[in-house]
Order: sequence, then C-alpha cells, then structure tokens
Amino acid sequence: MSPPAADFPAATMTSSPLVLEHVTKRFGGLVAVENVTVAVEPGKITGLIGPNGAGKTTIFSVISGHLAPTAGRVVALGHDITGWSPHAVCRLGLCVTHQIVRPFPDLSVLENVMVGAGFGGGARVAAGGARREAMAVLDFTGLAARAGQPASALTLAQRKRLEIARALATRPSVLLLDEVLAGLTPSEVAQALTLVREICARGITIVMIEHVMHAVMNLSHRVLVLNYGRLIADGTPAEVTANREVIEAYLGTASDDMVAGESAGRRSDGAEETPHD
Amino acid sequence: MTAVRLSPASAAAPALGVVLALVPLFAPHNITVLNLGFFTFLYVAQGLAWNILGGFAGYVSFGYAAFFGLGAYTTALLWLHGWAPVLTFPLAGLCAAAFSLVVGVPTLRLIGPYFSIATIGVGEAMRILMLNLDNITGGASGLNLPTVVPSKGWFYLAALVVAAVAYVTAVWVRGSRFGLGLAALRMDPDAAETLGVRTALFKNVAHVISAFLVGVCGGLFAMYFQYLHPDNVFSFTESISLVLIALIGGIGTIWGPILGAAVFFAVQDYLQTSYPTFHLLVYGVLLIVILLFEPRGLAGLAARIAGRRRVPAPIAVTPAAPGTVAPPSTPGGAS
Amino acid sequence: MFTAQNLISICITSILTAGLYAVMSYGLAIIYGVMKVINLSNAGFLMLGAFMTLVYSQAWHLDPIAGAFLNMPIFFVVGWIVYVSLVRRVRQALPIASLLMLFGLWLVLQNVALAVWGSEDQSIITRYTYKALAFFDYRIAVTRLVVFAVALAVMAILHVVLNHTYVGKALRATVQDPQAALLAGIDTERISALAFGIGTAFAGFAGGLMTLQFSFTPDFGASFQLKSFTIIVLGGLENLAGVTIGAAILAFAESFAVLFMRASLQNVVAYALLVIALIVMPGGVASMFGRRS
Repeated sequence: MSPPAADFPAATMTSSPLVLEHVTKRFGGLVAVENVTVAVEPGKITGLIGPNGAGKTTIFSVISGHLAPTAGRVVALGHDITGWSPHAVCRLGLCVTHQIVRPFPDLSVLENVMVGAGFGGGARVAAGGARREAMAVLDFTGLAARAGQPASALTLAQRKRLEIARALATRPSVLLLDEVLAGLTPSEVAQALTLVREICARGITIVMIEHVMHAVMNLSHRVLVLNYGRLIADGTPAEVTANREVIEAYLGTASDDMVAGESAGRRSDGAEETPHD
Repeated sequence: MTAVRLSPASAAAPALGVVLALVPLFAPHNITVLNLGFFTFLYVAQGLAWNILGGFAGYVSFGYAAFFGLGAYTTALLWLHGWAPVLTFPLAGLCAAAFSLVVGVPTLRLIGPYFSIATIGVGEAMRILMLNLDNITGGASGLNLPTVVPSKGWFYLAALVVAAVAYVTAVWVRGSRFGLGLAALRMDPDAAETLGVRTALFKNVAHVISAFLVGVCGGLFAMYFQYLHPDNVFSFTESISLVLIALIGGIGTIWGPILGAAVFFAVQDYLQTSYPTFHLLVYGVLLIVILLFEPRGLAGLAARIAGRRRVPAPIAVTPAAPGTVAPPSTPGGAS
Repeated sequence: MFTAQNLISICITSILTAGLYAVMSYGLAIIYGVMKVINLSNAGFLMLGAFMTLVYSQAWHLDPIAGAFLNMPIFFVVGWIVYVSLVRRVRQALPIASLLMLFGLWLVLQNVALAVWGSEDQSIITRYTYKALAFFDYRIAVTRLVVFAVALAVMAILHVVLNHTYVGKALRATVQDPQAALLAGIDTERISALAFGIGTAFAGFAGGLMTLQFSFTPDFGASFQLKSFTIIVLGGLENLAGVTIGAAILAFAESFAVLFMRASLQNVVAYALLVIALIVMPGGVASMFGRRS
C-alpha cells in the first residue's frame, strides 16, 4: 500500500542522499519493517513517527549498518550501502544517534567527541586536528564548558547533546536522530530544537524519530508515518495530522503522544529518565 | 591527543630506565640482581604488551604463552641452524604476530568472557601440539641450545631494552588516535562502530602488536635459558602470569604492568623457598581482593593514595546515572 | 583397527564417558544459565571434590560413591557462601570481572590443595576398581558402569526437580528471562545463590565420582574445565537439556579421534571443538557475537 503522493519538489532517486528501496526486515516470524520505499530530501528535516514498536529504530539500524535487511536496498550518498558495516557507513557520511544515550563512560566529554572527529567521514584527520574539530563541535552544541569533565557526570539533557555532538563530529551529510527529545523538560526541548535547526542550516540532511508531536510537526518539512513496519503516510505535517489512517493508528496511544510530549519520560526499555537541569 | 591521562609518573619512567641501566656497571658480578632484573624486565615488557589488547582494548587473553613459546622456538630453531640468536628476534616476533592473526581474526569476534575462554583453549592446544611435534621441538625431552658468550649483564640490558621498547609502544598507542579507538571499542563497540571506528581491524592490530613484542621476549628467553621445553614456554602458568601482572598492577594503565611485574617477581623470589607455586596462591588471593575493592590494581591504589582524580577501571562499571543503562550482564550485549 | 567389534567398543566407552561428562558439566551449565557467569572455579571444586572423597576414604573407608553424595550438601553450602561473599559483589561489573574473580578462586583452591596434599598422583582403590563385567564380547570396567549409572540417576533426579518443583521452575524461568522472572515475583538473587550452590554441589559430586575412574592431583580439573565448557557450548549455552547432547558429542568425538591420532593429542579435540563451537555454532552461541546480522 503506497502512501499518498506528497507535494514536494521532485526528490529524484539520484539527488536524494538517502534512499530506501523496498526495505524489509524480519526477525524470525516477526516482520519489523515491511517494504518501505522512500527518498529523503536533501538538506531538510524529515520526521519519522509512529506508535511504539512500529519499526522506526529498526529502520535506523538497517540504514546505519547494524542490521542487514531481509530484503531491499539502502542507497546513500551515491553508494549502495546495503549490508555495509556501521563504520563504513559512518565514514561515507551518515551517522546515527542512539535512543538510549551511551557516552563512553571512561572518557571525558572532549574525548568522546574526539572519537567521532578522529574516525568520522571525509578525509583522515591528524591527531591535533581532531582535537580542534572536537572543540569546535562542543562549542556549537554548547558543551564547551564541560570539555574536560568525565562523560558520566553529565545530566540527561547534556548527554543527549553529547550524543549529537559526537555524531556531528563525524562530519556527516546525513544525520539520523533517534528520539533526542525524550525525557527532556520543555525548556530543554526548546534548546534541542534550536540545535537541530542550526544543524540543518549547515546543510546536513536530518531524519528524526520522535514521539514529541508538537516538536516534530513544528520542525519537519516532511513527515513519514510508520505503523506495524509499513509506511502509512508521507507528507507535510499538516497533511499527516489530518490523515485518517494516522489518527487511527494512534488512537490506542492517543493521549500520551498527542499531548505535548513531556510525559514521554516512561520508556518501554525500563530505563528511568528523570529530566532535570 | 591524550589530554587528561599522561601523568608525571609516565615521564618518570625514562629516568628510572636510565638508573636501572647503570646497575650492571656498579654490580657486574651480582648474579642474583642481574637475574632478577632480567626476568622482571622481560615480564614488564610482556605485561605492557599484553595490556595493549587486554587493558586498552579490553580483550583479556589467557593464551599469550602461545606467542611466547612460538617466539622462543623460532629463535631456538634458527639458532640451531646457524643464525646468530640476536638476529632471530625480529623473526621470533613476526612468527608470533602471524599466529596471532590466524587465531585473532576468528576469536576476536567473540565478546569478552568467550574470547577469554577461547584463548585458554588455543593456548593449551598449542602446548599439547608442540609437545607432540617431537622432531621439531624435541617433544618431551626438550630442546638443548648452544651455550652463549654474553654475560648476565648483557642479558639484563637486553631485557631492559625490550622493556623500554614495549613501554614506548604502549605509551604511543595510548596517546594515539588508534588508542582512542581501542578505548572506545572497549567501552561500547556498537557506538564506536557507529562513529567510524573499524573495531575488527583495530582489535587485530592491537593483538598483532602485542603478540610481536611477546614473541621477541620469547626469543630472548630462549637465548638466555638455553633449554626449551613445551611445558615451560607454552604453559598455562606463563599465560596467567601475564594476566596477573597486568591485573594486579593495574589493567589499562602504563605503570600497572610495570608495578605488577616488579611485585610479581619480588614475591616469587621471596617465596621461592616455601613451595614452588606459592606465589600463585598469593596472586589468587590478591586477584580476588583487587576485584572486590580496587579494580584499578596497585596503580589505582597508588593514585588513590596520592589523591589523584578518580579514573574508572576498564573492568568495573561506572555508577549508573539517570538516562543510561548499566552495562549488560548478558553476553549478547545491548544494541 | 576399524573392525566392527572395535567400533562398538568405542561406542560403549563413549556412552559411558558421556554420562560422566554430563554430570561434570551440569554445575557449570546451571550457574551460567541462571546468572550468565562463567565459573572458572568449577575445576577447583571438581578437584576438591576428588580430594575430599579421598579424605573420607582414608579416614572412614567410605566408598567414593558415598563420598560423592556426601560432598553434595557440603559443597552446596560452600557454593552459596562463595556466591554471597564474592560473586554477588562483582555482578554489576563487566562479565569479565566475575570470570577473573572465579579464576582467582581457582588459583587459590589449586594452590591450597597443593600445600595440603602435595603434587603426587592420588587414587582411590576399591574392591571393584579392577573388576570388569563381561557383556557379550566386551569387557566393561565396573567402575565405568557404576559411574554411568549413578550419573544417570542423579541427572534424572535433577530433571524431576527442574520440571516439577517450584524451585526448579523458578530456576528455569530465571534462565530463560531474568527480567520476567523478577516481575513474576521470583527472588532472582536467592535463585542465583541457589544456582551457585547447586552448581558447586554438582562439581563436588562429580569430582568424587571421578575418583573411581581417574587418578588426580591438584592440577586435576584444568582440562575438565575446558571440556565442560565445550560441552555446554555444544549443547547450546542456555539449554540445560543440551548438556547431555554436548557431552555425548564430545565423548564420541574424543573416542573416535583416537583412531586417527595419537592418544596424547586427545585433549586437543576438546579444545578445537571449543573454539570452533564458539565461533560457528548457531543457537545460543549467536548471542556471543558483538554484531548481529
């Protein structure tokens, strides 16, 4: 079942930095992602929403190389990256952040970002260069003051920011953000949104998985909706919110998600996230 | 690139090295000291080498005797064929390094404890195989080697040189981009991959580098001891000595293996008269105590006494803070 | 060499050995299954079990089989204590920490035994040690039969306990899914201590049983440790029933390998199987790899 035609300037397969062609992912008998085809617009923010368990993170895992698709192709930045290992995908210029933030615990904030800077996409960077780049990224993301602190000392909002900083340091052309707003207070959400906009303004294509509806709708140029692994809607935020099937998909979990997403602190993975400044 | 971890203590090592190098000048006939020095330096070298894979990358191998033994026999066999022993050392290292690649590529894909178990299997298999290759290794009766001309003082210095090389290598690795990648893949291989670290390649490179160094040590040992038997050089005791040295000294640090080797041999020497493996009993107890109370080992203890900033140990967990999940206790790992 | 009679003889030996191997490995399997800890001290307790049986035999002329059973409660308590005082404290650390700690414990056990009993070969001779039963054309050592029978009996009891008692089911539940077990009201900490106790009890029991078939020194146990691990890997790590399969595979592989290689190389079969199984085997082994595909 194909999504309703979207009203976009033609994002042809060749100009799109990230294309999924009939991507399917099965885990034994469970179909997590089914026949998803989409071409992401360059330089824009694309939201990816759907009820819990719809397969959003699985799609990210397939794109980033952590999982190989059962069927279909992933084409990014001119290469067929299906089945590539994650490091190769990163070096090509596509980086993903994790839903559950995991900074390297024994490294400082700066060192965390240096890992991204030292190994990421593009030309190889000498040791000194990696440090400079890392500091620049920390500046950009507002973490410069904490550069020398151990990563384990950061608050949740700061860790989320570090996760983004790390990914940014790999000089990506495409950035996949997985629920960066979950567990943040309203003011933290606003700061994060500003950061995402600034990243987009630098020309980086962004795809974000989000449950915080108002944020996604405000931020995204285009929204993809996944349900039970299938793409059920693809359009502007306005079109998608009016889409009947989308509303039906969410009816079961309506109140949590339709209301502003501060309550999205409770996670299916059981991790307690206490937002604080 | 290290920023926070190079300490004044690391800079003191070269000074110590110079002092130690002068000892044979002042005590050329004190065989006890020279012997003790030889073994200590040899095991400092091996401990530092082991630590590159075990401490920096986090892959604890119980099978390094295979590399030591291979290095020893490479030197021995070439020597018996007329080579000057010293010239054989690089080859001893290469032979061990080649073997480490053969073994490492498949086994380094395993996670932590499973890798460790696999290395026990490989190490023991090598010992038995070598024991049975009579025509090459002399089998159960061992291999006798020609007598040597160099004095104990020469061996002392040679071992010190090897230890210095291992030290420099370890320090270089730690401070390099490669070392950062190793640290990242130790703490979170998935995240490291996501950020572009070629985890498989790096692990194997670390393995090869450390195996090379241990192989050279084996060669030097063969020249010194002039008699080789598989149960000596391929023994499990040899393998676990390296683990103990690094762990008790302080895994993942530079001074750890140095301290660990010094203490190891001091203890062994002191307890020699009691019964042969008593030092292993002490070490078993120390290992348990350290894992319970001070996973950073003696180096960590020293740092704590000196009041330095707490640096978490590779094998302990960082206290879980809001928003993170504690490291998994299952072999599959989180993803 | 490849005569039918010879081959059947090897099969018989393999089956008998498999029984012993299974009992020897169950302790390791239970501990691993419940708490995902690789108990390297299993070898130490195996050895200690053998030596304690020796002590009973020398002091009270107790038959090794009775000695083996006597070991069970004693080693259960010891295991419980070890868990509570040592293992539990490092469980939140990386898995390698518990492995190393138990390895340290093994070193201690080995060297304490060395100090107490010295390094000579010990063995226990009973009235039936040298006897053999005639079975058609084959002669089977009585000790082997006895060991096999007892092993079988104990495993049957274990099977009953695991499947028909609350404790057994709680244990299996924790093996399958610790989180779910916790939510179901099972005290997983207690179960873990229990599992460790049972595992150690089995080690002590197996050690005692093994005195009928082997002579032993404080180094005894090292090769069996690896074989036990090979067995549980072959059987599918979290599969308690798989232990018997793994034991059979190893026993047969070892016995038939002797047809093709020197006897002294026999242990290499176990080590090779271990490494290959770790790398190649599907099922439980797949969870050992860092990257899924």
